Amino acid sequence: MLQISRKNFYLKSPVLFAILLISSTLFFFSCKTNSGNSTAENNIDTVLTGTVNAELTFAPNVPKPLTYTSPKKVIVQLETIEKVMPISDSSEYTFWTFGGHVPGNFIRVRQGDLVDFTLKNAPESKMTHSIDLHAVIGPGGGADATSTAPGQSTHFQFRALHPGLYVYHCATAPVPMHIANGMYGLIYVQPKEALPKVDREYYIMQSEFYTKGNFGLKGLQEFDEQKGINEQPNYVVFNGSVNANAGKNALPANVNETVRLFVGNGGPNLVSSFHVIGEIFDKVYLEGGEMVNRNFGTTLIPSGGAAIVEMKMDIPGVYNIVDHSIFRTFNKGCLAQIKVKGGRDTLIFRKN
Amino acid sequence: MKVVFAILFFISCLSCESQSKINIAAEKKMVKVKGGKFKTFYVSKTDKPLLVEPFLMDECAVTNKEFLEFVKANPAWSKSKVKRLFADSNYLKHWKSDFEIGESNKNIYNSPVVNVSWFAAIAYCSWKNKRLPNLAEWEIAGNAPPQNIQYTSITDYIMKWYEKPSLPVLPNVKTTYCNTYGLYDMHGLIWEWTFDFNSFISTGDSRNTSNNDNNLFCAGASINVTNREDYAAFLRYGFRGSLRGNYCISSLGFRCVKDLPSNKL
Repeated sequence: MLQISRKNFYLKSPVLFAILLISSTLFFFSCKTNSGNSTAENNIDTVLTGTVNAELTFAPNVPKPLTYTSPKKVIVQLETIEKVMPISDSSEYTFWTFGGHVPGNFIRVRQGDLVDFTLKNAPESKMTHSIDLHAVIGPGGGADATSTAPGQSTHFQFRALHPGLYVYHCATAPVPMHIANGMYGLIYVQPKEALPKVDREYYIMQSEFYTKGNFGLKGLQEFDEQKGINEQPNYVVFNGSVNANAGKNALPANVNETVRLFVGNGGPNLVSSFHVIGEIFDKVYLEGGEMVNRNFGTTLIPSGGAAIVEMKMDIPGVYNIVDHSIFRTFNKGCLAQIKVKGGRDTLIFRKN
Repeated sequence: MKVVFAILFFISCLSCESQSKINIAAEKKMVKVKGGKFKTFYVSKTDKPLLVEPFLMDECAVTNKEFLEFVKANPAWSKSKVKRLFADSNYLKHWKSDFEIGESNKNIYNSPVVNVSWFAAIAYCSWKNKRLPNLAEWEIAGNAPPQNIQYTSITDYIMKWYEKPSLPVLPNVKTTYCNTYGLYDMHGLIWEWTFDFNSFISTGDSRNTSNNDNNLFCAGASINVTNREDYAAFLRYGFRGSLRGNYCISSLGFRCVKDLPSNKL
C-alpha cells in the first residue's frame, strides 16, 4: 500500500522526478570527474605523492611558484626567536619573531597538500609561543596544538583545502602583545590552477608598533601597552622596520614587467588603505581570495587579512607603496618603494 | 595511566631520597609571607578568593651550588642517571658533568639553577624538608612591592624583564630587587616553578572558549578577566600553561617554601 502510494507520488510530482533525475545524473557525472584528477585534490583520501620540504623565505622574497600537480606532504618548520633588531635607523626594539625576522617566513603550499607543521621555540626565548594559521581548519588554527615553551617543539598536521593568501600569528596570552611585538607572517595556499606567471613576486607585510618613546627616538624602545590599547602606534611600517624596502632596499623591477605583491596586514590594530602612488592595480585578488577586482587605486586590507595585487610597470621611476591613511606614511614610517628601470614610454606619460 | 605510573614511580624515588639525607650545609634563609586572600587576575568577579595560610619562603632561588649538593647526595638526579620521564634532555645542560658545574662556569655558582624539571624541583625541596610553593602562594609572595629600587609600577618593571631576550650568563641571586617581605628576585631574574603550575589552563590556545579553564583568553572570553591590562600576569600564566613536568628551560628555576610550625595541628 505504502509502495503504491509512493509510486503515485513520484508520478504525480514531475518536478520532484526531474530533480531526482538531474541529481542522479549529476552524481554519476561527479563520480566520473572524481576518477579524473581535477577535483580529487580536495578529497582528503587522495594518496599523497611524495614529501617535500617547503621553501621558506623572508620579506620581500616569495618562494618560487609550486609546479607539482598532485597533493604532497609538505614539511614546514618554523622557529620562534626573540631578538633585538633595528626598528628605524636610530632605534631598536625587542622583537618576538617567527624565524628571526619581521614579518616571519613566507610559507607556500599547494591546495590539497598535507602540511606537516613543527613549531620550535628557541631555548633562549623567555616566552611561550604558538601559531594560529588562518589557512587551517581546526581549533585555534593550530594554536591549540602548538603552545610551545622555550627550548621545546610542538607538531601538528593540517590539510590546506582552501586556496588563498592567509595571515598567521602567535596566539599565546596576551595575544595583542605577541602580535604587537612582531609575531606574524603569511602563508599562501596556491590554487590547483596556479595564478598566471608574472615577472616578479614580492612579500610585503604592514604592521604597527607601540613604543614608550616617540617615533625615531634613539636607543632601545620599550613596548607601550597603553598605546596598544588606545590603538595609537608610534610606528606603522612595511616589513618590520622603517625603510625596510625603501631607498637602497627598494624592490627592483623593469619597465613592462608585471609585479605581483603578496600583501599582508599583521595589525595588531590598524586597517590598511593600501595604495601604490603613480600606479593603478591591474588586478587585485580581494582579501587574498578568489574574487578579482580590476583597475582601481586603493584596496582595503583588514588587520589579520591579506590581498594579492598585480600591476604592470609602464613608466620608469620610483613608486611609493603607502598606507593612504597618509599620516602613517609621513609621520610613522609606512613606506616601501618599487624602483622601475628601463625605457621611457612617452605615449603614456610625458613631463615637460 | 602512564601519568599514574610516573607519579607512583616518582613517589617511590622520593622516599629513597629521604633516606639518603646527609649533612646539609648552611641553611638558606627563609622569610615569612603573611598569606591572605588570593584571587587570580583572570577569575570572574563572582569567584570566591582562595585563603592562603602564612608560610615560610626561601629568600632567593635555589642556586647551582646548592643544587649540586643535592645531586651529589642523590646521584639518581645526576645528568646521566635521571629518567627522561622526569627531566628532558636539557636537564642541567649548562653543567660540565654529573657532579661538576665546571671551572669555566664559576660565575654562575651563585646564580639560580635553571634547566631543572618540576620533578627535580620537588625532589630538591623534599630533600630539604620543604616543598614547592603553590601558585597562590607564589603569586602572593611575588606581588609584594619592591623596597630597595626606584620603580613606577611593578607591572612595568616585570614587563621590562619579559621584553628583553635572555642573557648569555645568568646573574647571581639577590641582584635584582628585594620586596617588602624580604624576598629577592621574585621578578626580573628567572621564571619559577610552582607546584600546580598548570592547574589553571589546559590548552595552548589562549583564546579557547570550549572548556572549563576558559578564563584567560584574549578573545571574547577575556571579559572574565578582572584586570585585562595586567599583561605581566598574562605572560606569566601563559608561560606556566605551556609547561610539562619534565621540561627543563634555561630561564626556569625554583625556590622552596615550608609551612609555619603553627600551621600544623
